[in-house]
Amino acid sequence: MKQSVYGLLLLMALSIPPVANLMESIMIVHMHMQMPLLVVAGFFMARYLQLRFPHFFESWNNNGVPGMILFTIVVSYWMIPRTMDEAITIQSVEIFKFFSLAILAGVPLRDSWKKLGQIGRNIMISLFATLFFVMGWVYVNSPEQLCNNYRLVEQITLGWGFFTTAICMVIYLIYISIVDRSAYE
Amino acid sequence: MEASLSQPIDGKPRTLVEKANHALGMNTKDARISRTYLFVAFAALMLGGLFGLLQVLERGGVLEVPLGLNYYQVLTAHGVLMVVVFSAFFTIGYFYAGLSHTLGGLLPKVRKMAWIGFGMKIFGFILAVIPILTNDASVMYTFYPPMAASPSFYIGLVFIVLGVWMLAFGAFINVAHWRKANRGKHVPILAFFGTGVFILLFFASLPVAVEVLTLIPWSLGWIDTINVMVSRTLFWAFGHTLVNIWYLTAVSAWYVIVPKIIGGRRFSDTLTRVVIIALVIMNITGGFHHQIIDPGISESVKFMHVFMSLAIGFPSLMTAYAMFSVFERTARRKGGKGLVGWYKKMPWGDVRFLAPMIAMIAFIPAGAGGIVQSTNQLNQVVHNTLWITGHFHLTLGMTVTMTFFGVSYWLIPYVSKRVLTPAINKLGVIQTILWTVGMSTMAISMHTVGLFGAPRRTSFTTYGDNATAAGWDPYLTLIVIGGSLLVVAGIMQLYAMFHLMFRAPKGEMEFPIAEAEEGESTPYWTERWGVWIVLMLVVVAMAYVIPLTEFIFNAPPGSPPFRTW
Repeated sequence: MKQSVYGLLLLMALSIPPVANLMESIMIVHMHMQMPLLVVAGFFMARYLQLRFPHFFESWNNNGVPGMILFTIVVSYWMIPRTMDEAITIQSVEIFKFFSLAILAGVPLRDSWKKLGQIGRNIMISLFATLFFVMGWVYVNSPEQLCNNYRLVEQITLGWGFFTTAICMVIYLIYISIVDRSAYE
Repeated sequence: MEASLSQPIDGKPRTLVEKANHALGMNTKDARISRTYLFVAFAALMLGGLFGLLQVLERGGVLEVPLGLNYYQVLTAHGVLMVVVFSAFFTIGYFYAGLSHTLGGLLPKVRKMAWIGFGMKIFGFILAVIPILTNDASVMYTFYPPMAASPSFYIGLVFIVLGVWMLAFGAFINVAHWRKANRGKHVPILAFFGTGVFILLFFASLPVAVEVLTLIPWSLGWIDTINVMVSRTLFWAFGHTLVNIWYLTAVSAWYVIVPKIIGGRRFSDTLTRVVIIALVIMNITGGFHHQIIDPGISESVKFMHVFMSLAIGFPSLMTAYAMFSVFERTARRKGGKGLVGWYKKMPWGDVRFLAPMIAMIAFIPAGAGGIVQSTNQLNQVVHNTLWITGHFHLTLGMTVTMTFFGVSYWLIPYVSKRVLTPAINKLGVIQTILWTVGMSTMAISMHTVGLFGAPRRTSFTTYGDNATAAGWDPYLTLIVIGGSLLVVAGIMQLYAMFHLMFRAPKGEMEFPIAEAEEGESTPYWTERWGVWIVLMLVVVAMAYVIPLTEFIFNAPPGSPPFRTW
C-alpha cells in the first residue's frame, strides 16, 4: 500500500506546473523521461487498485495479454509527434496524458508483467526494441520539423534517444539469451 | 614447487600444502601481482609528490621549477602520476588481492591476464611520459582539445586503457568462475565491490577511448580540426567516473575492513550491495557537471544534469549513516555510553583505523563541497578557481589517499608475508597526523583563496602587482607550507611501505574482512549484474544523447591543434 502512496506523490510532483513545464521544454525529456515517469507512477499506484478490485483484474486481464495490448496502444499513441504537440497546446489533452499514461499504461503494465512469463516478456521487449528502432529512424531522418513546439535538432536528439534505448534492449535480450542463469543461481 | 603452492579455485583445499596455503592466506603467485602493482603505485606517489612540491613552490612564488622543467609540464606529470598511476595501480593491486583472498585464488589465465595488463599499462605509461618529459605534452591531466599533445602521449593512453580492460575482464572471469562453483551464493562482499569497480573502469574508459582515437589522427595532422565540445564531454564521462572509482574503492575499505579492525561487524549487507549498484548505475552520468559553465549547452539541459550529479550524493549519505551506525553499535557492544560514546572505544592508536577514519571525516566537508559546486550558480563562481583544486585535494588527496594509506599498512605486509610492527604502526600514526595537517592546511587555503578568485591551472603571477592578486599571497604561502608537510609525510609513508615490503619480520598478517550481522538475508536480485549494467547503459544514454546530438548536429567550427606552452 505504501508504494501506491509513493506513486501518487510522484504523479503529483510531475503535475506541478513548473516541473511539467521544465520537462516538456526539451522534446526528449518530455517523451523519454516525463512519460516513462508517469507510467512508473501508475505502476506503483496499481498496487492499491489490485488490492481494491482483484476480481476486475482477474476477469479482464487473466493472462496479462489484454493489459499489455492496452499498454502498447497507449504508449504508442504518445509516440506520435502530433499528440505531443497537442499535450502542450491543449490543456484537456495534457490532463488526458497524465491520466492515460499513469492509469491506462502504468496500471496494466504492473498487472500484466508477472502474468506474461519469460517468453511473453521477451516478445514485448523485442516488439518495443523494433518499434524504437523504427521511431528512431523516423525522427532522425525526417527532413521536416514534425512538432510545432520543438526544433529539428531536438527531433534528431529524440531519434537518437530511441536508437540508444533500443540498443540497450537488444543488449538485454542478448544477455539473457547467451547467459545461462541456472549455471549461477 | 611454485605450482604445487597454487590454491584450489573452488575454495576446497585438497592436499596438505593447499590446506596450509588456504589457512595462511594468499597464493604466492597472486601476491606477487598485488605486490608489483602496489610497488608501482607508491613509486608513482613519490615522483608525483615531488612534482607536486615543485608546483606549489612555483605557485607560491618561492622558486621557479628547476631542472629545465616548467610549471605546466610538472602540473601534467603530477596529475598523470597521481591520477592515472598511483590511484589506479593501488586500486588494482588491492582488488586483485581481495579477489584472490575471498574467491580462493586467481585462475591461472586471470593471473596471466593481470600480467599482460600490467605490461600494457607500463608500456602505455612510458609512451605517455616521454613527451611529458620532453615538454611535448603539457596538456594537463584533463588532456582535451584544443591543446594538443604529441601523438605518442595519446597512443600511450590507448595502451593504458587496453591494460585496464584486460584487468577488468580478468576480474569478471574470476568472479563468474566462482559463481559457477558456488551456485546461488552471494559473491563475497569485497569481490562484489571489485566487480562494481571493474565494471565502472571498463564502461568509463569506453568514451575516453573514443575520444583518444579521434585525438590521434588530429595530433598527427591527418585531420585538420576536431569537435572540442564532443571531446570534452567524452573526457568527463571518463574523468569524473575515474575519481569516483577510487572513492568506491575507499568506500569498500570503510564498509568491509574498518568494522573488522574496530572489532565489530558490517552494516547491512543488502544496503552495502545497493550502495554499490547505485554508484555503478549513476556514476558515469555525473561527469557532465564538469561542463556546467561550458558554452553551447542550454540552461534546462544543465539543470537536468545537476540532478544526475546530485544523485551520486544519495549513496554517499547512506554510507555516512551506515558507518556511524557501525561505530555506535560496536562501541555499545564494548560498553560505550552516551550520545557519542563510541569515540572512546575506537582503536585510535592503530594506523589501520586512524587513517581511514580521518579520511571518512574529511569526506564530510569534501562531499558537501562537491554537492554545492555541482549547482549552476555556485559553479559559476568557483569553477576556474583554486576552490576546485582544494576540493579534489580534500576528496582524492585526503579521503581516498588516506584510506589507501590505512589499507597499505596491512595489505603490503599481507602480500609480502611480513607483519606490521608496533614501531611502523607508530610511524604510521605520526605520518597520518602530519598528512592530515598538511592536506587540511593546503585544502582549506585553496578553498578560501578560490572564493576570492585566485585562478587554478596557472603559475605564480602578481597580475601587474594588482592589489587583489597580492591579497592571495598569504594563502599561497599556506599552500606551500601544507605541500611541504605532505612531502615529509609522503617520505615517511614510502619508508614504511619499503620497510613493510622488504624489511619487516616475516610472518602472517590478517586480511581483515568483517562478517555481516547475524541472521541477515540478502535478496538475490543484487547479484544480477547483467540487469544493472543494462540499466546503467540506459541512464548513460539518457544523460548523453541530448548534449552529444546537439554538439554534433549544431557543431561549432572545429579546432585545429594548439600548443599554448
